[in-house]
Amino acid sequence: MNLNKTMKRRDFLASASAALALPYVIPSSVLGRAGRPSANERINLGYIGVGGMGGGHLGRGLKFRELGQTEVLAVCDVDASRLGSAAKRCTDAGAKVEAYADYRRLLERMDIDAVVISTPDHWHAVQTVHACETGKHVYVEKPSSVTVREGQAMVDAARKHGCKVQVGAQGRSGKPAFHTCRALRNGMIGQVTKVDCWHYETPYDKNPVPDCDPPASLDWDMWLGPLRWRPYNPRYCPGTFRWLMESGGGQIRDRGAHQFSAILWCLNADSQTSFTVEATGTPPPMGLWDCPPKIDITYSFKDPDWTLLWSQPGRKTGKTEFGQMFYGEKGKLLLEWEGARKWAEPEALAFKTPSSGFEPYTPGLFDDFGLNHMGEWLKAIKTPGHLPNVDIEIAHRTAILCILGNLAYSLGRKLVFDGDKQIVVGDDQANRLLGTPQRHPYHC
Amino acid sequence: MKLQELVKDIQSDKAEVRTAAWQQAGRIGAAAVKPLAKLYTAEDAEIRRAAKRGLEKIVRAVGAPGVRAAKSAVILELLTLLSDTQPAALRRDILWLLSEIGSDESVEPIAALLKHKVLREDARMALERIPGDRSLAVLRTALESVPKDFRINIAQSLRARGVTVDPQKYPCQKLVPTR
Repeated sequence: MNLNKTMKRRDFLASASAALALPYVIPSSVLGRAGRPSANERINLGYIGVGGMGGGHLGRGLKFRELGQTEVLAVCDVDASRLGSAAKRCTDAGAKVEAYADYRRLLERMDIDAVVISTPDHWHAVQTVHACETGKHVYVEKPSSVTVREGQAMVDAARKHGCKVQVGAQGRSGKPAFHTCRALRNGMIGQVTKVDCWHYETPYDKNPVPDCDPPASLDWDMWLGPLRWRPYNPRYCPGTFRWLMESGGGQIRDRGAHQFSAILWCLNADSQTSFTVEATGTPPPMGLWDCPPKIDITYSFKDPDWTLLWSQPGRKTGKTEFGQMFYGEKGKLLLEWEGARKWAEPEALAFKTPSSGFEPYTPGLFDDFGLNHMGEWLKAIKTPGHLPNVDIEIAHRTAILCILGNLAYSLGRKLVFDGDKQIVVGDDQANRLLGTPQRHPYHC
Repeated sequence: MKLQELVKDIQSDKAEVRTAAWQQAGRIGAAAVKPLAKLYTAEDAEIRRAAKRGLEKIVRAVGAPGVRAAKSAVILELLTLLSDTQPAALRRDILWLLSEIGSDESVEPIAALLKHKVLREDARMALERIPGDRSLAVLRTALESVPKDFRINIAQSLRARGVTVDPQKYPCQKLVPTR
């Protein structure tokens, strides 16, 4: 990890405070433990879900621990072998952690200020809401939710309990997206009328296997959580939950959550919440996974008018596996991947902000976008009134695009989404599918 | 595509033939519901899966705005598949399909399954999703009539529907650790 070695904790706090001209000392109530003074200035973290992305985030939490910013107190996973590995990793790094099979035991701990949630997507909303209800700030992986109603519950819980909820769409903490955003918002290609995203196909299961007993190390009921019950099948997890509509939603809800977040930022379109969406796709020919390998989705926005296209595999106009091309009245501009991991185009890098032009906000504390993104969350926790750069409300709007794209495909018809009311206009079935009843007792 | 061709193709040993077939099920509609349901007992998991996806296609097609008569016909067919003679896996899927398009006519048949040990949780969730006073009234009644160990689940649905439920009598369990 390319951590800026010169960045020390004091520098981090100083830059955070100086940027907002706020005092260094933070009241304990801001840390989510009203009435309890902070024993030190570290933010005490618990990790829910420690495989896959959770492992990466645990590494970042331990890096911030080295910098004196955090303490890692607990890890939790429904897979005992993953849990054991994560606990050992923490111990090896000098962190004394408790390991839990049930995240609710972790949430009961009053000494934990904040949690990092990296569970499968169908758990994001329930665990985020529960964390907020127990006074904990949240860093949750993208997509923020699998249904629109879940996303609304997350926003409500964050606001009601005063919790800072950062969602892991790191494009807005990456330098390529920053340069692209600065160029586009200052009119380098004029008014943008179309954004064309390409992405390789969602995989399908070429070797289906029958249902069977779950592995001894996996708590299958807890893995399912809010989902309707069904027998275990090895194709559900780990990782492959992404290729099922109800738990992952395919590439569009995975990478699309990254790409759309960067696009909305670059176009200053977070507030354009109403749109129409149409989709066609090719379903998988076999296997458990039901997300379409090929899909073409068209979103149309008004005032300003622009079109967002998502295609698998799509029209690849860049050098890498996925990305987006912005088309404007005066030209076009490419952004590879999600705007964090690759590079900005030379013309975007060379673009100079005009006097009185718009300068996008970027954390910019570290060279590494992942650390920047988590650092932004830690800063928000310590800074009253400062929301993280991918606050849950912003992420929810991005997730809506992903969810509605899949819904238009599943229903096979055009949908008109009213962003103010968060409903599909004139379509009862579509509105029912904006939420999913949750299995007892795993509900928001 | 005609019904016989659909049923034949969906049982094909060729994946592309099965897939092309189930995608056409929506065009046939109610007449295809029972024939597809029968395929839930097929030995080949891929045929069972194709049948399931065909049923979904039908429900998604008739759920479109303005398709009233066809929707009613499909709902009637689906309701007959909730009977005890059908496999549990099918009945579970039928409950979820009814949750997408069912109305008052579906409420009582679904409510009858609140006493079924295997299917009651899916029946509860289906009722939670079906809008209207009737489903709400059934859930209210169920709070006092289903077996005691299931009443807390019904309370969850009532709260999701915006009903205030006595927290002393039916405490919310969502934050209570069980492991």
